[in-house]
Amino acid sequence: MKNRLKVLRAERDWSQGDLAQRLEVSRQSVNAIETGKFDPSLPLAFKLARLFERPIEEIFSDEEGTKDVVTRD
Amino acid sequence: MFCTIKSPARRRLIRSSLIGAALLVLLAVGVAESFRFWHLKGLPAYVVAVLPALPILWFIVEWGRFLAAEKDEFQRNLLVQCLLWGTGGTLATTTIWGYLEDYAHAPHLNLIFVFPLFCIFMAIAKFLVQLRYR
Repeated sequence: MKNRLKVLRAERDWSQGDLAQRLEVSRQSVNAIETGKFDPSLPLAFKLARLFERPIEEIFSDEEGTKDVVTRD
Repeated sequence: MFCTIKSPARRRLIRSSLIGAALLVLLAVGVAESFRFWHLKGLPAYVVAVLPALPILWFIVEWGRFLAAEKDEFQRNLLVQCLLWGTGGTLATTTIWGYLEDYAHAPHLNLIFVFPLFCIFMAIAKFLVQLRYR
């Protein structure tokens, strides 16, 4: 799953550590999510959405879903 | 263990692991010495012989408590991965060794080495998992 965490974080000038502190998780967790190595659970995705004040689908994008849309077009 | 900012659950796990390891060494040495000096038999032998296994049971309980208490799902996921690799490695090794003992006359593997073997596989898994998520 792709995500825009790095961009959203940069817009606020937050480090991975800052975001981790706000989410109450480890910096390693933020890094794993940001690099797409770990997909967060729905509650954590909602927490991120609330924190960045964006809908979940603006932060995370499903590659399969994008492929479907392209195929249908 | 996995991160620099340690959650209360992780701190507890580290503290318990250190105490458990110290107790394990103390009890293993103490029990071996007890049997050497007192030649215990019958019920006392059963009671004393089982003592070094108690810290190991405590380790297992503490891993369970960590998984229940840790709020960081990624950290829980890391421990689960290590536990699975530890379990898989131990099952594979002991099964293969069992057949080697039966048919190839390999030396007998004392069951008290199963838990240390599990810990070795977990440590290897932790190293590899850490590399992946570095």
